[in-house]
Amino acid sequence: MQTHRFAFNAMGCPCEFTLESTDRAAAAHAAAAARAEVERLDRKYSHYRDDSLVAALAAAADRGAVIEVDDETAALLDFSAALHAQSAGRFDITAGALTALWDAQRGRVPSADEIAAALARTGWQRVRWQRPRVAFSVKGMRLDLGGVVKEYAADRAAQACRDAGIRHGVIDLGGDLAAVGAHADGSAWRAGIKAPRNPQGALASIELRHGGLATSGDYERALLVDGCRYSHIIDPRSGIPVESFASVSVLADSCLVAGAASTLGMLMGLDEGQAWLQQLGLPFLCVTAAGKVSGTLDLAGHHAMHAPHE
Amino acid sequence: MAAQRSLSPSLAALLGAAAALGPAQAQAQTAAENDSRVGYRFNEYGEDGFHGEAVGSKERYKVYSQQFQFDTRVAGGALDVNATHEVMSGSSPWYVAPGPDNRPIQVLSGATIKEHRNELRAAYTLNPGTSSSTTFSASYSDERDYRATAVGAERSFPLSGALTLGAGASFSHDIIEPTDAVLYDRVRHEEKNTGSAFGSLAWVLDKASVVQAGVQLNRSNGYLSDPYKLVSVGADILPDKRPDARTEAAALVRYRHAFMHPDAALHLDYRYAQDSWGVVAHTFDAACYQHFAGGWQLIPGVRYYSQQAARFYQPFFLDGEHRFQTSDYRLGTYGAFSASLNVRKRIAHWELSGGIERYHASTSYGIDGSDAAVPGVLSYTRGFIGVDYSFD
Amino acid sequence: MRSRRGAVFVIGVMLAALLGGCATTPVQPWERGRLARWDMRWDPDGLQAAMDGHTHFSKEGSDGHIGAAGGGCGCN
Repeated sequence: MQTHRFAFNAMGCPCEFTLESTDRAAAAHAAAAARAEVERLDRKYSHYRDDSLVAALAAAADRGAVIEVDDETAALLDFSAALHAQSAGRFDITAGALTALWDAQRGRVPSADEIAAALARTGWQRVRWQRPRVAFSVKGMRLDLGGVVKEYAADRAAQACRDAGIRHGVIDLGGDLAAVGAHADGSAWRAGIKAPRNPQGALASIELRHGGLATSGDYERALLVDGCRYSHIIDPRSGIPVESFASVSVLADSCLVAGAASTLGMLMGLDEGQAWLQQLGLPFLCVTAAGKVSGTLDLAGHHAMHAPHE
Repeated sequence: MAAQRSLSPSLAALLGAAAALGPAQAQAQTAAENDSRVGYRFNEYGEDGFHGEAVGSKERYKVYSQQFQFDTRVAGGALDVNATHEVMSGSSPWYVAPGPDNRPIQVLSGATIKEHRNELRAAYTLNPGTSSSTTFSASYSDERDYRATAVGAERSFPLSGALTLGAGASFSHDIIEPTDAVLYDRVRHEEKNTGSAFGSLAWVLDKASVVQAGVQLNRSNGYLSDPYKLVSVGADILPDKRPDARTEAAALVRYRHAFMHPDAALHLDYRYAQDSWGVVAHTFDAACYQHFAGGWQLIPGVRYYSQQAARFYQPFFLDGEHRFQTSDYRLGTYGAFSASLNVRKRIAHWELSGGIERYHASTSYGIDGSDAAVPGVLSYTRGFIGVDYSFD
Repeated sequence: MRSRRGAVFVIGVMLAALLGGCATTPVQPWERGRLARWDMRWDPDGLQAAMDGHTHFSKEGSDGHIGAAGGGCGCN
């Protein structure tokens, strides 16, 4: 059994597949299939391409037209709707206009008028979603599936590897992990969780054998103005950043669910986030800006997810 | 089936939504269950003593059964192994003699020595917990006078988000070698083959209700009579003789409804069956699974069964020359009510259970009312205690 | 005969309810949590269902269930 690594860039982040196989050609073949899947999703849901589905949705929103979406997008929209319901409105794929306002690259705090204008173009309740048709009741709305597509892509890539016959490996899309399967000898892959003030160092190491591990992190993208830190986690109901953890990591049977849980944990904020994650029941880890670590994820690996088989 | 660690509602909602996004997600739902489970049940079954005119021991049957179960995940699927050990004793109806005024007098066999039965069953399921699962099963049952080997396969197919099709078939080969065959002039060695096929459609009606409709066809060939029973025909006492073929067709409808307040689930089942011997049977089952704080469950249930006699059933025959004859009450016209109450309690990885059932049959309870006597219809009390342990 | 007509009636009513279900609201994937609970299964307790089926099969004239039939037994 040898370890084969395949690295490339997609979805705006560095991606790496680590696959174990006795046959290099088989591993390469699986990696190619998995990469094709990631790139397909990147193209389809990209904000930066004119021919992506997201662009088509934006055009429809501007024209006030109704657009019909395919099954995959419909399932992602249903999933996003479920997250919206579970988070009492904090998770909202229409909040792109708001997050752009608080982007670190702007370098300044947005005015009340700017926030009000963005809020008027935000809100899942303003989207008329009746499978398979999407319509917008307000012009200028934007749907941003970035919060779910990366984790979904990680699961799809892992499945593509399994379908190609590779049973040991891990998919890493910019820090969101999906396991193809444990090491051939049964041992787990180890994922490092970064420390908030020392991005080069690992705060904790989590074992992953099956399923997915997703981390929502804030310290790299926060807006810093006059020594004040404004997180990039915006509450779409008020338009204002939420005071939240520096990072939330969740271990689940799929990267999609792990990602959804970690995002929701962040969105719930410092006060409610940990309680919500506790009642959810999945192993999780919260790290505050000060570096304080809490959660049910056993860093020695006892909570590692086991596959339904093997 | 693996025990279920209860999912928080929010996790269940997320997993449900994610499941629509493909096979990688579907595994997320099944993995929420613990990987393995062992279970044990101790069952006691005791028939009421015989009432009415009888000859022979009036103490009827008593059966003690122990069941063992082991479920686990193996190589991509779920393996389920069951073993049963039964100890049976008591007397059972032998034949019915016409008494003065042709009143039926039940003649019972003498109390038997303890008989043992062992059974082993294994089933392997691919894609367990999904709507496209396939199950292969095999079983073997062994007792002093009867051996049965059976195999079966069933498959489910999702037709749409709300509809699932199920289909399956099974085959069983049984060998009967009655005890004391020479002494009582019984058949020495006989065989019986049974084939069965079924189809079902399950429908998710709304987020709290499901319904399933199914049909089944069974066909048995070979020695289908009861070697231990006799029939009084005219002045003779002849062996129980049934046709060497039997075809049964059945249809079933099952409904499940979940209530939020109170936290409960209602089960309603109805089954209709009719066969080539003239037996027509109706079965109604209702049960309510109620949850209480502290991991307690209370499950009351009722069952009503009604059967119409086989064409060749009579307690006894006054004139001679019949092609087939039986006095076995199990082929007579009668109805039966039963009421049961089960209790379950979850404590961490353990689940304790217990229950009791009281069953009462009578010729006056049948839908197809009949005044004909069916000596031997019985009443029984059944109870069990059980323990299950789930682990990863 | 009376009971056969009765049976047709009951099955007819239940199938009508089934088909009437065509008009029910579709269930979203995230709403299926309740349906997946243990007490909503066709046979929640497999061991108990097996014991019930065996008792009824031995003491009544009909097979008693839908699904792969196990082997018989000499139960009297």
